[in-house]
Amino acid sequence: MNTSTVRTDELMPMTEIQIQQVRDFVGTLDSKSQTYWDMVAIGDELARDLHITPELVILYADAVEDYNPWYEGWRMNTWKIEGESPFGPAIVPPLLASHFVLSVQFDHTKPFAIGSIHTFHDSELIEPIPVGATVRITTRAIDKFIKRERRYVRHEVHVTDVGDGRLYLRETRDILSL
Amino acid sequence: MTQTHSLIQGRPAQGLITIDTPVGHRLIGVKKKAAIQLMGSRLWGRFNPNHWDPVYATQTGLKAPIQTGEMSSAYIAEMCVNHFGANVFRNARIVCKYVASTLANEVITTHGVVSDKTPKGKGYRFKVDVWADNEAGDKKTVGWIEVDVGV
Repeated sequence: MNTSTVRTDELMPMTEIQIQQVRDFVGTLDSKSQTYWDMVAIGDELARDLHITPELVILYADAVEDYNPWYEGWRMNTWKIEGESPFGPAIVPPLLASHFVLSVQFDHTKPFAIGSIHTFHDSELIEPIPVGATVRITTRAIDKFIKRERRYVRHEVHVTDVGDGRLYLRETRDILSL
Repeated sequence: MTQTHSLIQGRPAQGLITIDTPVGHRLIGVKKKAAIQLMGSRLWGRFNPNHWDPVYATQTGLKAPIQTGEMSSAYIAEMCVNHFGANVFRNARIVCKYVASTLANEVITTHGVVSDKTPKGKGYRFKVDVWADNEAGDKKTVGWIEVDVGV
């Protein structure tokens, strides 16, 4: 494809100032990037705590258009509510914690990992996560391998409750790197 | 957290699948459009322009911006909650492999077929083959889920 024919506003309407803002932002990422393969060594372990607020759950669920009321610890006009699910108060969507693993395994103190793609996850959902919980996401790089001339980095992941140490999620996931 | 039964906020707490649901049963999926505005939202793909910028995506060899695979996984999880209810949240397993890119504006539908039932406790551990495809039937995400029912 001829890249010169592709426009920034091809898929959504923008004015010239919006287009310039996009190009400026993307340019910033490009100048700081390196590949994920080069950024990670086997054995690297990272951990961060995430407070799963009711608003965060709504942000997650709205973008995938999942309107299950079991996840609502926040509602327009009422704001914070206890909510109701089969487990009592509102709970977190099954793969929300898995989604935030990216924010841990991609070390935010390092440059943008250019061209990396999440390709696989094997997620064990151990216990429901209540809305409002603070969880610790721990990732450990366990393998780097090449398959069909493509480079992959494999991580194992544990998501636990910061308060009582309960295990919520265990996962293995692969990232394809340039 | 203690699990309760019956309808919770209008949704069946245990979903639509029972211990009597046979192998071969087809789940009714969910259907979504890969909308560029959602693909580029801060919580999903904003950190990587491949998910929302046509220019950057083309420069990296893509036909168009691609949805994060995890959005497909979320669609599949939504289908599974519709069918298995609360059972998805405890002692379940979801495996997804992203076999092809979901491009902006494609319409994605999720599917599931019960492939196995293993006796466990008073019920069964169900295995369901799951996938997500576009309007042409091209598979984008494939995998499976295991869930306890009536255990």
